[in-house]
This record gives sequence, C-alpha cells and structure tokens, in this order.
Amino acid sequence: MGTADWFILASFLIFVAGYGIWKTRGQKNMRSYFLADRSTPWYTVALSIMATQASAITFLSTPGQAYVDGMRFVQFYLGLPVAMIILSVTAVPLFHRLNVYTAYEFLELRFDLKNRALGSILFLIQRGLAAGFTIFAPALIISVLLGWNMNLVIVVTGGLVVLYTAAGGTEAVNKTHLLQMLIIFVGMFAALVMIFRLLPPDISFLDATRIAGKMEKLNAITFSFHWKDRYSFWSGLIGGTFLALSYFGTDQSQVQRYLAGSSIAQSRMGLLANGLVKIPMQFAILFIGAMVFVFYQFVAPPLFFNTVETTRITASAYAPEYQTLQREYQRVHDEKQSHIRSMLAGIDARDNAALNRALSDLRRSKTSETAIRGEAVQLIRKVNPKADTNDTNYIFLNFVIGFMPVGLVGLVLAAIFSASMSSTSAELNALASTTVIDIYKRMISPNASDRHYLIASKIATIFWGVYAIAFAMYANRLGSLIEAVNILGSLFYGTILGIFLVAFYLKKIGGNATFFAAIIAELVVIACFAFTEIPYLWYNVIGCTCLVILAYLLNPLLDAPKRQPAAE
Amino acid sequence: MNDTESRRAENREESPPIFSSWGVLYTLVLAGLITYILLFYIFTKVFS
Repeated sequence: MGTADWFILASFLIFVAGYGIWKTRGQKNMRSYFLADRSTPWYTVALSIMATQASAITFLSTPGQAYVDGMRFVQFYLGLPVAMIILSVTAVPLFHRLNVYTAYEFLELRFDLKNRALGSILFLIQRGLAAGFTIFAPALIISVLLGWNMNLVIVVTGGLVVLYTAAGGTEAVNKTHLLQMLIIFVGMFAALVMIFRLLPPDISFLDATRIAGKMEKLNAITFSFHWKDRYSFWSGLIGGTFLALSYFGTDQSQVQRYLAGSSIAQSRMGLLANGLVKIPMQFAILFIGAMVFVFYQFVAPPLFFNTVETTRITASAYAPEYQTLQREYQRVHDEKQSHIRSMLAGIDARDNAALNRALSDLRRSKTSETAIRGEAVQLIRKVNPKADTNDTNYIFLNFVIGFMPVGLVGLVLAAIFSASMSSTSAELNALASTTVIDIYKRMISPNASDRHYLIASKIATIFWGVYAIAFAMYANRLGSLIEAVNILGSLFYGTILGIFLVAFYLKKIGGNATFFAAIIAELVVIACFAFTEIPYLWYNVIGCTCLVILAYLLNPLLDAPKRQPAAE
Repeated sequence: MNDTESRRAENREESPPIFSSWGVLYTLVLAGLITYILLFYIFTKVFS
C-alpha cells in the first residue's frame, strides 16, 4: 500500500467515528438511544438495513464466489422483496402500535415471559458469536494479504465501532451507515471501472461479458431443481423468503433499524426500498467477481490465493514440486488465452463449429487447471495439515492489492472496513438493546430510572463490543468451528421465525405449546445439520414448519383455549 | 373492531408518500422482482 492509500483509509476511519460521535451527542434516554426518538426517514432506514446486512465478508467473499461458482448466488436474494412486503403488512404496524423496543417484547405480550426469554436468549447467543465473526473474518483476510498484525486490525476496527456506537446508540449507527454505504458504492464502482481498464486493449466490455458467459460465470438464474443444489431459483425464492422473513422480522439487529422509522409509512418504505435495491447491488458485486475472473484469463492468477500458505510451501521441502505445478499452471493458462481468442473470433464470425471447438478446448484446459490446483492443495495440506484450502475469500482482495492503482487500493479497503464496521455497529446496538430491555430491565432491575437504563445501555454496548473483539482474537484458534458459526444463523432462524409466525397468525395457540414446539423444532434442525446433507437454506423452512405443526398439535394438551390477547 | 378492520384503519390513516395505496406499492415491488428475474434470465441465456 502507498502513502495515499494509508491516508485515505485512516482519514475515512477517523472521520466516520468522529462524525458518529459528534452528530449524536446528548443522548437523553433509552428512546433516543435505542430508537433515535423514532425520527428516522425512510431512505436512512433503507440504507441502514442494507449496511447492517452487508458485512465485509459480502465484499470479500461474494466476488470470489462468482469467480469460482458463477453468479447464481444472486438467487439467494429473490425472496427478499416478498419478505419485505409480508413484514410491511404484518410486523411493522404491529411493532409500531405496540411501541416495543425489541421484537422479543412482543412475544411476552402475545404469549408469556418464557417465550420472550427464549427468543431473546437465542438471539443473544447467535448474534453474539456472529458479531465476533464479523470483526474476525475480514481481519484475517486483510492480515494474510497485507501482512498486518491481525489482532491490531481487530482491536482498531472493533474499538472504533464500540466508541461511536456506545456514545451515540442507534442514531450514531444510522448516521455512520449513510457514510459507509456511500463509500461502499463508490469503492465498488471504482473497482468495476478499473477491472475494465486493466483488460487487454482488444478486449471490450462485450467481449469480457461473452468470455464470462461462455465459461459459465454468468449463470444468474437456474430454474432446474435439485434439493441438494445450494443456490437455485427455487431455494432462493422459497428458502430465501423464509430466511429473509426470519432475519428481517425477528433478528433485533434488523428490527431495530426500522423500529427507528418516524412512522409506519417510513419504516415500510425503508423495508420495501431495501427489497428492491439489494438485488441489483448483489448482482453488481457478483458481476465484479465474474469480471475479475475474466481479468485472470489474461493475467496468470496465482496457483493458490492465500499467500500465507504459498509462502509456507515455498519455504518447505515441497517447494520444487510446487514450482513445477506453478509452471504447468502457467502453461495451461497460456493455452487458454489462445482458446479464448479463438472463441471470440468464432462468435464474431458466427462460426458455430469454430466456437464449439474453442469451447471444447477451454473445457479441457479447465479440467487440467482443476487437476493442477488439486495437486497444489494436497501439497499445501502436507506442509500444514490445518491449512484452510478454500482460498475463495482471498481472490478479490488479492486482485485489488496486486493490480489496482495507488489511491484506489485505499478506497476499496475503506469500503471493506466500512462494511465490517456498519454490520458490527448494528449488531452491538441490537445486542445491547436486547440485553437491557429483555433481560436487565424486565427481569433484574425493573424499577430504575431512565437515566440508569441509559447508562446500562452504554455499558451493555461496551460489554458486547469487548466480547466481540475478544472472540475475534480467539477465533483464529477455533479452526473448523468458525464454519459452524458461519451457518449459526440458519440453525436458529427457522425456530425463531416459527415462534413469530405462530404469534402473528395462529392466535389460538398458546405460550406453552409454542415454547415446547420450539425446543423440539430446534432439535430437529440440529439433527438435520448433524446427520443429513440438506443445504442450509432449507433449515429455516424445516425449523419453521416443524414448529408450527408441533405447536398446533401440542396446543390442546398444553394450553387452555385462547382468548384474544389484550394487546391486539 | 377485528384485526383486519383495525389494520385497514391503520393503513387508511397513513397512506404511502408515493402512489395512492400500499397495495399499489406492493404490486410494484412484486413487479420489480419479476422484472429482475426476467432480466437475469435473459442475461444468463444471452451470454451463456
């Protein structure tokens, strides 16, 4: 990184933190701290929702995913607009009318305290671990590629976030989200423009898109159905709707964003705007990854993108073998370039025979490349049996650091840090609100003053921030457990969503039936995770469906006939 | 007043800042989703 990159990155980080603290000074009570006095306009709600969901992993991993697997991951978001409509009709007016601070408050009004406690505790467990991971994952990737001290990156990123989130609460989170989303959009746009400028002069935008398409990277929509297929139109639309309903309807880190809306209309507009803007945004990020793939058809990519492992192997006894593989990889890459140009010539000349020959040659080259990389991975494992052999997360940043000009590297890094900080701040804010409102105020100290709860809220924010930083610093030793943390959301979301669906729509089902159905449904989901190969997007459907059916069956045994709840 | 009627009353009290009703807005969001799906499908077919 050059001096300009450091200047841009450091300036941005300090400015965002300072801006968040300055603009939100003088928080008076819990309502202003957790709900920004319900004064947020719809566009801030929308951007805040998007900033909360878009973590650094979105920008580091998603382009890499398109590089490896194509753009079909965009289907993951097809359920989002449907879920936003459902939430606009049901959850938003209900939460606003009940004047709740958290989604779990509603569960006590509808059922009883034990359902509220179950919902809030499941959220604290799942989101608490996720908050640590949100800080850890980008710090790991950045430290590997830039050689920075990982713990220092964690402490600086996490520390700045804790500073302005504890100081300003929800309003600080919202105000900084605006800046962070701006830098994210600018950074991604700059990356896309630079990729095209770095392509060979004879390769146009249309050529690049054709190359990506013919090499199966532009597979945005796949209508074929196989239940083991992780990303398809059907799993995206159906499973994605359930996941989005659960994430945006029951996860306090998102609920808090639209509870701060100045009215029901503003909250609804924010959700609906998110539903429409998020899909093209993810498409653009995936398209960047597909174009990075095209770039690396003309510039030889590294055999393995994780430079820590490649440095290790080139210093080991296996270095000569690895270098042989690198030479072979380069030779196959050079062959591929001529096949690509033959393919483009066949397209331009509308010569199907030439096109098919070139595609056949490209498939053979790809098979050779895959075999060579497989051998390289085996060597890496021999040197370091604990090595992470999935280098997808390092592809995009490797490209940025290796090929983008001075200044733009700093801008893209600022975008990545923005994404990390935006997600973390919303998570800490939500963890603090749930801790204070659902646990501390409700069960431990119900009669304190508002000023007391305000101080408790800031302390809770700092506590969860320190916890997240500590977990992030420890996470490096956990190895494969990190993967479990990564899918933790899907293990719990279905059950939590089921609780809320029963609460909203099945008024005759009582708290006892719902509570015990939730326990059993959660065990079913964990069993699916442990003993089956069902893709994680279906866990939400399974957990939710099991809970609803079980609650219906258990209700006659465990609950007296329900009257209409007084809160309705 | 039952739940549906009270929801309708709430909705009547606060119309969206654009368009005449929330139903129109929801329909437009769904139309937007269908448009995205069609565009992505065409994109996939044209370039693959």
